[in-house]
Amino acid sequence: MLVPCSGLGKSLGTVSREAAYEVVEDLRPGQTGLTPLSLLVLGDEETRAEVVDNVAVAIDGCKLACASKMVEESGGHVARGFAVLEAYRRHRDLRPRGIAALNEGGKKLAHALAEEIAKAVDDLSKGEEGVQDA
Amino acid sequence: MPDLPKKKVGIIACSGEELAEGTVTRLAALKVLEELRPDETVTICLPLFLAGGEQDRAFARFYPTIAVDGCEKRCAARGTEMHSGKPAAEIVVANLVDGDDLGTGRQLSAEGAAAVDIVAERIAETADDLLGAKWDRRRGEPVPDGEEVENAEAPQEASEPKVAACACGSGIPVQMVQVNGKEVTFIALPLIFERFHEAGRPPEDGTAEELMKTVKIYTSVPAGEEETYQEAVMREYVNYCEEAS
Repeated sequence: MLVPCSGLGKSLGTVSREAAYEVVEDLRPGQTGLTPLSLLVLGDEETRAEVVDNVAVAIDGCKLACASKMVEESGGHVARGFAVLEAYRRHRDLRPRGIAALNEGGKKLAHALAEEIAKAVDDLSKGEEGVQDA
Repeated sequence: MPDLPKKKVGIIACSGEELAEGTVTRLAALKVLEELRPDETVTICLPLFLAGGEQDRAFARFYPTIAVDGCEKRCAARGTEMHSGKPAAEIVVANLVDGDDLGTGRQLSAEGAAAVDIVAERIAETADDLLGAKWDRRRGEPVPDGEEVENAEAPQEASEPKVAACACGSGIPVQMVQVNGKEVTFIALPLIFERFHEAGRPPEDGTAEELMKTVKIYTSVPAGEEETYQEAVMREYVNYCEEAS
């Protein structure tokens, strides 16, 4: 299960969501699903079970790391953690701007991050956890 | 009394990623924060009530808050009430617009985009209503019609530094203070100290009464414990003044 940041105050949150959508809908459909943070905040049993019973990949926007913390808070384990801020450090030329709509740099950063996440999904499918971002 | 932050309205969107309605809440909230009422509204991410600190959890007590939810699960409204304070108002997208063809969480349709405008307008109208009503920051709830609550609101005319739309991690200044052996969260205390110190008010008896009057706007003081609360606050104010000098 991919757990993206739900932030709406920074473009980093938008990048995390775009990357998650790309993995779930385009790159690894059927292998991955999306977990909304708001349901974890509410303590929704079904959503908590999804996170606990499946392999959780957290995609945090900023250093506050809400997605990772909420997975742990819900009793789950972050098998792989990604941070948009770290992804940006790896791709300095892709500066994200905009929240409602990302600029080109943000879209490309989301795509680059989605490719990394898809690779991690493949590794996790083979039983490898790899390196943590967050 | 020193200047303190003017009243704003908090907006918390469910932002549910798996439903188009969740995306509508996020984009509608953004439209209000950035375009319709940028100087009157502020937001915080819902997960910060659990992942953040006390200053984040004080959000819905400090600001009269509008919870904007996509569906009837009402994650924003219920989550806010569970972890921060009861929202002053609730808006549910599914109750405002027909959700048959809003698009997807990733990409809204033209109908979804129109829904964003409708919901944003409703949020802005609700914010206007809340700004016109009295808000009791001590109890974190509106003052009922006809009831007078002393110092129910922060001054409207106060000047305030620009606050970004996102209040995460820095929105509400709070301070934990030991009172009678228990830790109490005092909302806005660092700001109150700062303003009193800037006004040249020394940590002496003459200041204590006015200081406590301001403190009680934001933090409830249990009956019979006024004296111990005042002692604790004055002790902290002495420390603050020493460090600031």
